Amino acid sequence: MNVEIADLTRRFGAVTAVAGVDLQAGPGVFGLLGPNGAGKTSLLRMMATAVRPSSGSLRLLDRDPGSYGPRREIRRKLGYLPQNPGYYPGFTVAEYVEYFALLKEVPASRIRASVATAIEAVELGNKKKARLRTLSGGMLRRVGIAQAIVNEPELLLLDEPTAGLDPQQRVTFRALLRSLGERATVVVSTHLVEDVTAACAQVAVMDQGRIVFRGTPDGLAARGDGQDAGDTPIERGFSAVLAQVRS
Amino acid sequence: MTAMATAPAPGRRLTAVAGAGAGLRLLWLELRHNAMAWVLPVAIVLFWLLTYRRDMTTPPMWNLRAAGLQSGAVLDFAIPVTGAAAWMGSREVRRRVADQVAITAWARWARLLVPWAATTIWAMAGYLGCVAVLYGVTAHQASWGGPLWWPAGVAAASLPAFSALGFVIGTFLPSRFTAPLAAIAAFFIVALSTELIHGGQSPWQVSPIVTGPWNLGPQAGVATFYPFLPDLSIAQVMLLAGFTLALLGVLTLPASGRAARTVAAGLTGAGLLAAGTAAGLTGTGTMDAHGMIKIPALHDAANDRPLQYTPVCSGTAIPVCLNPAYAGYLPVTANALAPMLSQLAGLPGAPARIVQASVSFQQDAHEGMIIRTDGPRSGSPQPVVYLVLPDQFGDPAMTSEQVADQLVAVYDTRLVARVTGDGPAASPSQNAVAAALLLAAGQGKLTTDQPPSPQGGIDPGQSPGVAPGTPEYAAAERFAALPEAARRAWLLRHLSALRAGQISLAQLP
Repeated sequence: MNVEIADLTRRFGAVTAVAGVDLQAGPGVFGLLGPNGAGKTSLLRMMATAVRPSSGSLRLLDRDPGSYGPRREIRRKLGYLPQNPGYYPGFTVAEYVEYFALLKEVPASRIRASVATAIEAVELGNKKKARLRTLSGGMLRRVGIAQAIVNEPELLLLDEPTAGLDPQQRVTFRALLRSLGERATVVVSTHLVEDVTAACAQVAVMDQGRIVFRGTPDGLAARGDGQDAGDTPIERGFSAVLAQVRS
Repeated sequence: MTAMATAPAPGRRLTAVAGAGAGLRLLWLELRHNAMAWVLPVAIVLFWLLTYRRDMTTPPMWNLRAAGLQSGAVLDFAIPVTGAAAWMGSREVRRRVADQVAITAWARWARLLVPWAATTIWAMAGYLGCVAVLYGVTAHQASWGGPLWWPAGVAAASLPAFSALGFVIGTFLPSRFTAPLAAIAAFFIVALSTELIHGGQSPWQVSPIVTGPWNLGPQAGVATFYPFLPDLSIAQVMLLAGFTLALLGVLTLPASGRAARTVAAGLTGAGLLAAGTAAGLTGTGTMDAHGMIKIPALHDAANDRPLQYTPVCSGTAIPVCLNPAYAGYLPVTANALAPMLSQLAGLPGAPARIVQASVSFQQDAHEGMIIRTDGPRSGSPQPVVYLVLPDQFGDPAMTSEQVADQLVAVYDTRLVARVTGDGPAASPSQNAVAAALLLAAGQGKLTTDQPPSPQGGIDPGQSPGVAPGTPEYAAAERFAALPEAARRAWLLRHLSALRAGQISLAQLP
């Protein structure tokens, strides 16, 4: 298992953002659904080693991120796209992706190819020399994805990756996700259930810091049988799960 | 977006060489996108306006130019580099990339060192360019000596220190207002650092804009006859290196590993210790006889030996010889003294040469300054008269005319007194002849106004003066009116008797 989480909790002052989550994930695309404030981003940030858990156990890529050496090994094989990624406006697309390739310690002999591959993967090859300040929001999101995948991560964490992408880009991005999921664990946090339907083999629903459903997209859709809320089966299943938990 | 081709995973650890290569590439990226590159023109304009132009108004002497460079460049560059570094230090938070970079394999401290280094490199490149121009022009203008590197080194050492200061402020207090506030803070730190200096042994003289004893001010006579003492500069470099180390340690302190935190704490402690030691050593410093700060623990006795040089001499009837560093003063000095020298050349008691002497400095009990002439004093039997140029003490900002006036006023009188034996106990005829020689040399009045001389300095020769309407005055006018050949012939025959007081006013031709 690339991700092994047991009773993971994260508190910010009096607020408990993640409350005793248990989760295991191997290679493949794993969807994380939930309403705003459910704790998805906090869970992803802990998995990204950006914040430490308040309690519980976390193992990533068979290593303990609590220690410096293993954490560094994990980070070499980790990709992360935050919910609101920033960027350095003066950098070109290629420079920005290379910057992260260097920080992720991609071997020097492979940096040039890795950068080119990542940029092509997000279909920004014709913009590689464009400064980031000149790009649209959707393009910047794709640059963010490129920096996340430039080191060919074994664990890729994407927080709302399709926000800001137009429908066509979203479709091609899902294809990219499926491709990445063939050899890596990809955890996608989203509130767009169609992303989950199209790309994810496994899905979890979070609410109030807890995982309240774990299964396949079809299983989630099945929970919505007989429900009215939602336009698609999986939306109805999502609503049904939340309604059941809150009732 | 298309599916990625699968590449083989890295099969081996990065070698140190590869790591260094990645670091250099990262540094190159940071250099291309560093705020200091944009701020550098501001620093260079400040340098040109405040330091270069002021330095160029001083005589082309290495000591003056180097001192001006150090005190000026520190201020010119400290403010922009601190602001730029604070801007770069706050960048990750301002640009909301903190999470993205935090989860990369590079340690936080190593990642932050790269933009700090890039900021420092830009500032250093600009500064070195300014040094090259200023020293290049000085090399073209100066008549003797070579660049003083210690003062330039102090200013250079201030750049990483202020860069680290700004970077630490920017990292720990990230906002868009941090950079201007850090720049303002740097200005006040530098500008006010000298306000704390009280007395000749203040440890605050370690401030990087101090170039010598603070209450002495710029002295052209310093480091021309004796080597430049690097004692204070060494302490200043130690202070700045210590601050740099301590600040970089502070940058590393939030590291998550215990070992890294221990190293960071050690670096910070060592840096503060070095800085404190530098200030303490400066507090033990005293002004040496040659106007520089001597710190016993850092002092090299070899620097107490006078510099060897071949003087530059004029072709006047009596040669005037100056230290080659003052070769630019030779024409004005020779021209000022030539009329008198031609009057006196060959007469008994006239000097064979006039040689420039160094001055020595001494702090008195009340923090005042006593400046004396080195070498034999007036009245020495040696056939040499020692001369001190007015620009050797005090702020060297006199015009050529002012220098000439002072030389004539001081040395014509003294030279005449040396030949005629004039002085407080001189006979009326000695006074008259002395006054006549001054008149013949072009001094338009017979009474001698003594200009202020350095305390304890060369005795300018005490001519009592000749008041109009007196018999002495009439005799002086009469003697001065003689043709030069007749005057010289009379003096050759009667000078011994005149000096012995055996010539009366009536016997003067």
